Amino acid sequence: MNLAWKEIKKNKVRFLILGSIVFLVSFLTFIISGLANGLSQDNAALIKDLPQGQFYMNTDADETYNLSKIDSSTQNEILSNEKDAVAFSLQMGFLNDQDNKQQSVAFVTSSDSKLFENVQHEEVIVDSSLKDKGIKVGDTLTNNQFSGKFVVKGFVEQKKYSHAPVAYINNEDYKEIYRTDEMQLIFVPNDDSSKQFAGLQSFSNKEFLKTIPSYSAEQMSLNMIVWFLVVISGMLFAIFFYMMNVQKIGLYGILKAIGVKTSKLFKMIWTQMAIITVISLILSVAFSQAFNLIAPKGMPFTLTIGTTTQLSIVFLIIGFIGATISGIQIKKIQPLQAIQQGEA
Amino acid sequence: MTLFKIDEVRKTFRNGEVEEEILKGINLSLNEGEITALVGASGSGKSTLLTIAAGLQPATDGHVIFEGKNMSTMNAEDVRKVRASEFGFVFQFAHLVPFLTVEEQLLLMLDVSESRLKKQEQKNEVNRLLKLVGMDHRKMAYPSSLSGGEKQRVAIARAIIHKPKVLFADEPTASLDSQRSKEVMLLIRDLTKTLNITTLMVTHDEEMLAYTDRIIKMSDGVILQDAM
Repeated sequence: MNLAWKEIKKNKVRFLILGSIVFLVSFLTFIISGLANGLSQDNAALIKDLPQGQFYMNTDADETYNLSKIDSSTQNEILSNEKDAVAFSLQMGFLNDQDNKQQSVAFVTSSDSKLFENVQHEEVIVDSSLKDKGIKVGDTLTNNQFSGKFVVKGFVEQKKYSHAPVAYINNEDYKEIYRTDEMQLIFVPNDDSSKQFAGLQSFSNKEFLKTIPSYSAEQMSLNMIVWFLVVISGMLFAIFFYMMNVQKIGLYGILKAIGVKTSKLFKMIWTQMAIITVISLILSVAFSQAFNLIAPKGMPFTLTIGTTTQLSIVFLIIGFIGATISGIQIKKIQPLQAIQQGEA
Repeated sequence: MTLFKIDEVRKTFRNGEVEEEILKGINLSLNEGEITALVGASGSGKSTLLTIAAGLQPATDGHVIFEGKNMSTMNAEDVRKVRASEFGFVFQFAHLVPFLTVEEQLLLMLDVSESRLKKQEQKNEVNRLLKLVGMDHRKMAYPSSLSGGEKQRVAIARAIIHKPKVLFADEPTASLDSQRSKEVMLLIRDLTKTLNITTLMVTHDEEMLAYTDRIIKMSDGVILQDAM
């Protein structure tokens, strides 16, 4: 007999309250997780979109990529020996649009590669977010440190760095703006960390992201909120079921007296937890995915099904732990106590 | 024929430094189909004796033998199995499951006792028994809508639906008025006699003794009188 479902049906309001709380907490968790992912994309989509591999920067740069300068002989050696390797540089800067309004961008230049946009002298390819600022293909943009003019050749989708749109420019133009001949970084896709090059320090994609100023701090704060919410939901389960169990001690005692197995009572709590959590999570996922579609354009919000699935599984595990902890008292209930008490 | 034997049962409780002996070597045999009442003043040990016999708490010393098997040496799971399939319980309060209908209360007991009846047979048995206790018209009702007497009728039906060999009743009429108490006792008597169930009952109410076959008077942890 499905005692769990029968109790839910009879005490709809009680379980509706618990379900609403789980829904609200999980929905908030999904939204914050979406914001964390969105900000992460906004901060480092350029790097995150690269395949797994190894980044190399100058050992003397002290893990700060914009202090890194890779000498041309090392660069040429690696690029000729490693398949698909690319040397690139990136620096924050700005472009003046046709109305002379400054637009912050992250300038990126690279050696010939399929991983980065290759542009000709006095050409620029920019992130599509600049379309919202009125920039179109064919527009002429300027930079105070650059003697020529950039013609917008096209747009790329979702290429951001340090919350600024990326602007791919030619290597020669980059050298003129930043007065440097050397590239900052080399990326070797599908590489493993065992390869070492003299004078260069290697980083996996994850390690390299950590070297980006503000990235770790930003992600850590948001992830902390997400995990706090997950823990809070677990505690809510434990507290709610504990309160319900306290009210039902007499009933559990009688059920044990007439021969109901303790494991059946645990199964009842777990089933109730699973029913409530699954229904709440389905609603949360649906609402958060709907929010994903209607979120304002300027809001950095990215919520993938993978992330929601992962968080949903965590919620189920936490709910299970919370419900089980609250159920420990059931194990301790003596049938005799319940009989000696009054009506439940 | 002896179904149940209580052999030199002692129960001691420790209250801080003081050790109190509640049962002082009880010997008792229950015969098949017999209704036995345990009477005595508060603290005489009658409820303790009933709960030890029912496997709800262990004795400090002595043996409880049911159908030749020593329950005192069984593990907790085996005792639970005996309680689920061979015993029935009626308490002072009905203690019905608040979220189950009258019909479901009885079906739960069949489930707990691992009844071999098929689903439809179980429903038929429930209907038959509810008719016997006069509750068939309320089978879809929840406990919250039943009166005290109705609840106790359902509790009795729940206690015997799985055809137990022994019925333990702890003050089954204590929460009912005089008229309802008589009805409930008559019901217990009729059903246990019809189904040949051995009954051990604790009561304070002397009027209820008229419905029993045997009266055991206890005082201070010993049997004072055993009268048929």
